[in-house]
Amino acid sequence: MNPQRAEDGNLVVRIEDLHKSFGHLEILKGINMDVREGEVVVIFGRSGSGKSTLLRCINFLEDPTSGAIEVGGIRLSGGHRNRAKREQIRQLRMRTGMVFQQFNLFPQMTALQNVIEGPVTVKRIPEQAAQTVGLEILARVGLADKAQEHPIRLSGGQQQRVAIARALAMEPEVMLFDEPTSALDPELIGEVLATMKSLATELHITMIVVTHEMGFAREVAHRMAFFHEGVILEEGTPDELFNHTRFPETRRFLDAVL
Amino acid sequence: MKSDPVGAETARPRGFWARLEQLNLRIPYNAKLGAVWVAIFAFLAVLFSQAHFDTAWMRKNAWFITKGLWVTVFIAAVSIFFAIILALLGALGRLSKNPIAYGVSGFYASFFRGTPLIVQMFLIYLGLPVIGQAFREPFRGWFLLSAIVSGIAALSLNYGAYMTEIFRAGILSVPHGQSEAAEALGMTYRQRMSRVILPQAFRVIIPPTGNEFIAMMKDTALVSLLGTQISWADPFRRATLLGRADFRNLEALVVAAAWYWILTGFFTFFQRRLETRMSTGYVRQAAITKRPAAGRFIPASAGGGAGGGASMVEVPPGETGPRSEERPG
Amino acid sequence: MAERASIRRRTKGETGMKLSRWKALMVVLSAFVLVGVACGGGSSKKALLDQVKESGKLRVATDPAYPPQSSYDEATGTWEGFDIDVATEVAKRLGVEVDWQTPTWDLITAGNWNDRWDISVGSMTPIKERQQVLDFSPPYYFVPAVVVIKNDSSFTSLDQLAGKSIGSCAPCTYSFYIDRTLDIPGFPATFVLPEDMQFTGYDTDSTALQNLELGRLDAVLTSLTTATAAIAAGSSFKLLGDPVFYEPDSMAIDKNASDPESLAAAVTQIVNEMHADGTLSTLSKKWFDGLDLSVSAAG
Repeated sequence: MNPQRAEDGNLVVRIEDLHKSFGHLEILKGINMDVREGEVVVIFGRSGSGKSTLLRCINFLEDPTSGAIEVGGIRLSGGHRNRAKREQIRQLRMRTGMVFQQFNLFPQMTALQNVIEGPVTVKRIPEQAAQTVGLEILARVGLADKAQEHPIRLSGGQQQRVAIARALAMEPEVMLFDEPTSALDPELIGEVLATMKSLATELHITMIVVTHEMGFAREVAHRMAFFHEGVILEEGTPDELFNHTRFPETRRFLDAVL
Repeated sequence: MKSDPVGAETARPRGFWARLEQLNLRIPYNAKLGAVWVAIFAFLAVLFSQAHFDTAWMRKNAWFITKGLWVTVFIAAVSIFFAIILALLGALGRLSKNPIAYGVSGFYASFFRGTPLIVQMFLIYLGLPVIGQAFREPFRGWFLLSAIVSGIAALSLNYGAYMTEIFRAGILSVPHGQSEAAEALGMTYRQRMSRVILPQAFRVIIPPTGNEFIAMMKDTALVSLLGTQISWADPFRRATLLGRADFRNLEALVVAAAWYWILTGFFTFFQRRLETRMSTGYVRQAAITKRPAAGRFIPASAGGGAGGGASMVEVPPGETGPRSEERPG
Repeated sequence: MAERASIRRRTKGETGMKLSRWKALMVVLSAFVLVGVACGGGSSKKALLDQVKESGKLRVATDPAYPPQSSYDEATGTWEGFDIDVATEVAKRLGVEVDWQTPTWDLITAGNWNDRWDISVGSMTPIKERQQVLDFSPPYYFVPAVVVIKNDSSFTSLDQLAGKSIGSCAPCTYSFYIDRTLDIPGFPATFVLPEDMQFTGYDTDSTALQNLELGRLDAVLTSLTTATAAIAAGSSFKLLGDPVFYEPDSMAIDKNASDPESLAAAVTQIVNEMHADGTLSTLSKKWFDGLDLSVSAAG
């Protein structure tokens, strides 16, 4: 089932001529991408090619060497950070929610406490209100009964779903997924992908997902981007990429993966 | 018996030694350990009687010497409190990109680890008033510290410098992903530190800090050398006073040593239980190394916790995790 | 556009507040330091004697482990000894109480007490170096210095100590005597000990005597009073020969205190009175086995 292209929605994320080098090694060689409201964009490509770096540049967990990122109206370019810029980055991050490969839940807090940590500490929402909303979000990812459990008592899949809930609680404009299932045992991958799918289809959350899960891409993505040697080589709907690739490299990669 | 062919060992009984070995295997470990301790104490008792100590004098004055232990515990408790604050600031400074913070904390750690504690005590006791001369009266008095306060100041600064490394290692032991997750939520540095990083770091920091406290209790004896008042005299001071007054120095010091030993043994017992509790339900493979020659405790857990959620060993609470190198008792 | 501007306002507001809070703190601290330093230097404090009389307390520094001059008696919970009684009497004649201080001996002899205490009554010898930092009263008693050896030692005269090991407190009058640098204005000393002895210094006489007992030393130079007390406490010592010199002992006041002469003059008068009316003789006989050390037995 191919969802419609959400081409006419508002612009949520704009990546403009993004370059990133680590020392002499240039990882991102000029990325340009627009993501609109409600779109699900899947970025795929070889491991270690820089896809995660690209994603992490969006919320400035990595500093772009040059180029600009615009999220929800905040536009920032790469380079040195001064105090003012750090605050702007913080504001930008409040508009993005990130889900990590290693979950990175806070181990000393329960699932619910993890979920409400952002709203309470960062947005200064009163704890009672945040808890009510937090429980709702946990219910939405199917973990309302685990609200009082610590992460160590949860399976990998459950932890990742709590991580998704935690990011959702901040009501971000875009959710960033950095290989969310790569660290999971195979039998747990499904529940996480199902949760992500429901975010897209039921909540119409704008999502940028870096993943190898082609099945998910085919089903849920509005757009897919093939990341190859520092640039987005090819971009298009899943149908276009799976069936009508323009570049042999794309074909080769998809054949190897599928 | 190496020349025996395999298989012949079980066939041929080796008599006395074999039976002894069988017996040895059946005695529980704790009983053997207890026997060793009894033997050591018996040996000490023999030495003791050889020395012809004036035991009557020791019995008469033991209580007076012991009463000073409250000073020991008090000074150590106050000093460790300030040392923890200094260590936290020092660690944050050593981890900072700010050149002022990094430089100042580096100087602090270097100086107070590079000079003997007793020298530091005297410097504060004698040197601070000299600085105070530059100020006028109400402020000048602030630089004239009593012996006890000088001692506490020196202990805090000295131990704070050593514990800076412990705190730094503890903070570094928190997986980087935790910091990233906090940042991604939009937390400021202060929020990150106080809500996410430090609570996790403290699990690694608390056991070695407990050991520092126990070590510090013995270093408090040095404060006497500044010339403390009798009302603030610790066992060492009391021992020297009485010992010199009655020409019974050795007896006095033996009594003081025994009580310091009992005190640290008492705290060490609780320290071990603390370490075990800290690792249940939440085991990081933090192998806590024994004291290196310099006498300072540095956990080897830095770098042992990389990877965040996926690498944590899941131990249901209630079960003890793998023990660090501790022998029972 | 409007959104971006509002973000800018918000960030400037937040960081602006943080920045100015730090700046304000810096300004306050610097002002504090500057005010403190600028008005530093001389102080208008009262004369030492007036301070003592007004506070009603004479803060006396005593060496707390030097029997029979000064030692701690846990039965009474306070100090006892010859120096203790002398100091108490001096305070009484000044019309005040005694407040005992127990710093280490080195701190007392070095002067620059920073007004931590008022006077030292600790059997201090007024040697030349100390007179540069301390004002001394006239001697209140004279302590014979003796050589102590073990009971089973075969020495019979001081010459036999040539090349042997001797110990004493250090640095103190006895160590200066041994290395022949002792210089007490008004009380010249003749050095009768052999020059080539191996000397070891200890933190107090008591420790030196302990080492004599253990066999690390052949002899110890100490005061007659200390030696007698040690023997009475059960150490197996005996004296070798006659006292080698008579050490005058005075009370000391910090030259760096404010108007030390005020107290020094009062104390000098009291010491002279205590000699004249026999108080010092009585105390001496009480603490030193009937010996009256308040007058010098030297020629």
